[in-house]
Amino acid sequence: MHKDQQDDLYNKFKTKIELVAGECYRVNTALEASELVCNVLIEKGIKDVALLNSPISQKGDFVNLFEKKGIIVYTDNFRQVTPDAQAGITQVNYAIAELGSLVQADADVNQRLCSTLVPIHIALISTDKLIPTLKDTMATIHSLPEIPGFVGFITGPSRTSDIERVLTIGVHGPKQLVVVFVDEEVGGVA
Amino acid sequence: MADKQFKKKISDALDNNVLRGALGRFGDAYVISREKAYEGYDFKEISDNIAEVKAYAASHLDEMIDQFEKQATARGAKVYRASTGEDAKQYILELAKKKEVKRVVKSKSMVSEEILLNKTLMSAGMEVQESDLGEWIVQLAGQHPSHMVMPAIHMTKEEVADVFSGHLHKLNQPVIAELVKTAREELRKSFLEADMGISGANMAIAETGTLIMLTNEGNGRLTSTLPPTHVFLVGIEKLVPKFEDATHILQALPRSATGQQITSYVSMVTGPTPAYYPDGTVQDKEFHIVLMDNGRRKMYEDEKFKKTFQCIRCASCLNVCPAFQLVGGHVYGHIYTGGIGTILTNFVNSEKDAQNPQNLCLQCGKCSEVCPGQLDIPQMILELRNRMGEKTGLPFTQKFALDVVSNRRLFHSMLRMASIAQKPFTKGQPVIRHLPMFLSGLTEKKSLPAVAKVPFRDVIKTINQDVKNRKGKIALYAGCLIDFVYPRIGEGVIKALNEKGYEVVFPDGQSCCGAPATYMGDRGNARKCAIMNIEALEAEKVDYVVSACPTCTHALKESFKELLQDDPALASRAEELSKKAKDFSKLLFDLGGLTPGGDGIPLKVTYHDSCHLKRSMGVYTEPRKILTDTSGVQLIEMKESDRCCGFAGSYSIKFPELSGPILDRKLNNIEESGADVVVVDCPGCLMQISGGLDKRNPGVKAIHTAELLLDKRKNVKKNRVK
Repeated sequence: MHKDQQDDLYNKFKTKIELVAGECYRVNTALEASELVCNVLIEKGIKDVALLNSPISQKGDFVNLFEKKGIIVYTDNFRQVTPDAQAGITQVNYAIAELGSLVQADADVNQRLCSTLVPIHIALISTDKLIPTLKDTMATIHSLPEIPGFVGFITGPSRTSDIERVLTIGVHGPKQLVVVFVDEEVGGVA
Repeated sequence: MADKQFKKKISDALDNNVLRGALGRFGDAYVISREKAYEGYDFKEISDNIAEVKAYAASHLDEMIDQFEKQATARGAKVYRASTGEDAKQYILELAKKKEVKRVVKSKSMVSEEILLNKTLMSAGMEVQESDLGEWIVQLAGQHPSHMVMPAIHMTKEEVADVFSGHLHKLNQPVIAELVKTAREELRKSFLEADMGISGANMAIAETGTLIMLTNEGNGRLTSTLPPTHVFLVGIEKLVPKFEDATHILQALPRSATGQQITSYVSMVTGPTPAYYPDGTVQDKEFHIVLMDNGRRKMYEDEKFKKTFQCIRCASCLNVCPAFQLVGGHVYGHIYTGGIGTILTNFVNSEKDAQNPQNLCLQCGKCSEVCPGQLDIPQMILELRNRMGEKTGLPFTQKFALDVVSNRRLFHSMLRMASIAQKPFTKGQPVIRHLPMFLSGLTEKKSLPAVAKVPFRDVIKTINQDVKNRKGKIALYAGCLIDFVYPRIGEGVIKALNEKGYEVVFPDGQSCCGAPATYMGDRGNARKCAIMNIEALEAEKVDYVVSACPTCTHALKESFKELLQDDPALASRAEELSKKAKDFSKLLFDLGGLTPGGDGIPLKVTYHDSCHLKRSMGVYTEPRKILTDTSGVQLIEMKESDRCCGFAGSYSIKFPELSGPILDRKLNNIEESGADVVVVDCPGCLMQISGGLDKRNPGVKAIHTAELLLDKRKNVKKNRVK
């Protein structure tokens, strides 16, 4: 993908996700991502985080950096820790520029535990995984050897308007969604 | 006909200010957010795609179900086909017992509400928790959802706080953010403790055995993640042929349902995925799919209702329905509400259950305009009405009235009598201001016009038609209102068409177009009217047949053909008539319009689109062009110009309590426009709106396009000579 085209898709994505109360960042390398996420955690006052290991988090040495800063990092036993952890970090498979949506295409239950039960979800993604439209995304998923057991689109934090049609952010899913795009090629998630 | 109990429910709903406020605010905001969500997208193209893939699935239903089962099974799911709700409940209950389930958590499923699944599980001693916030509120309050997408739209935050306080044994303040927080905390426990999850789906993909659900709160994700046993309960109408076909529905459903580009979450589940079991191990979950019929197949096999398969349950038809907006969902009596709900109720519950709610449809057609599945809901409701009429017969008074209408001589002599008999009521006024008490419901919000002293059929004989450069002959179909109440409209039509070089004839044998019979469900009398008019109008002998009433034009163009399709000779005459019939403003426009002119006296005019003219015939730019070509006319658009005025034929007589508030809204919009005159193309709308204005704001006049032309152009020639 040309850099111009990638910039264009990123900008579209950012505009869309900010419209639905998501935060969006872009960095060059996995190490920069690690620093950025660490700062975000500190800023938000996070003391413990559930981290599902992924190419970006490993390349960026997330665990070491966070622990140095005094943040407790859980990397397993997610069924026990995610109901109480203050944040969760996962790498996701695709991002849809047209809608500002992230795509998890993964049957692994831990991917969902770390991104649904926690009040803050931090999603990592390789910039080259940006897909222009919903239509292209459906074609991409369809072209996989088989449809993954679970495919989840995430567009902003959870929300409801069920009482008097007043929009309230944060119901059963996260109250905050932070997306970090990483330009460096580190490989996607399985 | 609506019974007393049903009428009581309507009046209770109308008295409920909370409900009316919430529905009103939502309805107004919905229109704007829907439009915004579709910005830059071609709604027509999206809905064409949906109609195409869903129609394919409907006509290959067995193949779809077989393929879905095969694919889902290959991925490890257990698929059960339930022909009735009872079957579905038994299967889920047995499964729950086998798995020793104590706690069930549900993400949203209308189908489970349809079959009252919770009751079955709870009577077996299980705890069942709804997790969609709206559903949970309604469950705690012991009520039913009142809307497919927003189950608790009828409740205020104060009511929700009371319900929470009562059930959770702690005081809840009526602060929405706090109430949502309470729900998060309370339901989190249910998610973590549940040993079974039950979900509905928005789509079931035959090609891949995938189930797709759209949610905003995250409950769908948690239900598919935590409990080690997961059951999807899915109606067979959710089937979609190919994986990528889902794109079209994903493009439309959130936009049409809530005005969102996409919901916060879209979850696609294909076969069992690993889950944590209570002993801490991670294994594939127990995964079941119940595909339920429960009356649906009967509906899809019925040629007239096949298209209901194309419904994606967005509820946009409810959101734009003027009647729904006033009464809300509970009045409809069962789980599915609004226009589409009435049709579903007829099949999944019973015909009897649909008998009352089908009356609520105004036949305004606004729902069809926004339907992403291209369902003609009003037409289907009409079909229900007709079938009910044929089966059970209409009440005596209605039947008698329609029998009179389809008997021309009797009907016309009664109308002539009425022009004399009404004198005590009109007190010499042109409009009936006071009717005897028993009819007062009709005139509370509006005055009724008087029957004309001389009907148009007699007036036309006295008109000297001045046709220069004669081009041909047009038959005028007047319809009851122009013939007997508003003959001046007929004069305007003749004057304008004469100017275009056509002689206008009035075939005497014409009578009522049959619309009252059609819309009340009396096909027999509608058919009689169709034959009578086809024979009288002799479309074969003229260039056009003009009508200045869009409801009549619709009958001439569409209804007659349908009513007579079983009789080849009459059907071909109906076809000829259909081709030549045109509504006045459309015909005048097609003939090139009048030479721009007029008296030049400034007149602020606003235009009301009649439902039949705009939505059945797609005519709305033409009358505006005719108006603005008239010198002196300044056209100011009112808000919601194409929203129904509430007349809807006999509706205003059956439901004056609904017709009244719908009219009020129209009158507000007219007044806000600041116009001196509201122009309409339908004598029915004219009667409704002028009656309302007469009571409320006699300073604003309502007038038919043909009459406006007559008024504004009468002195043109003289002026020019001077």
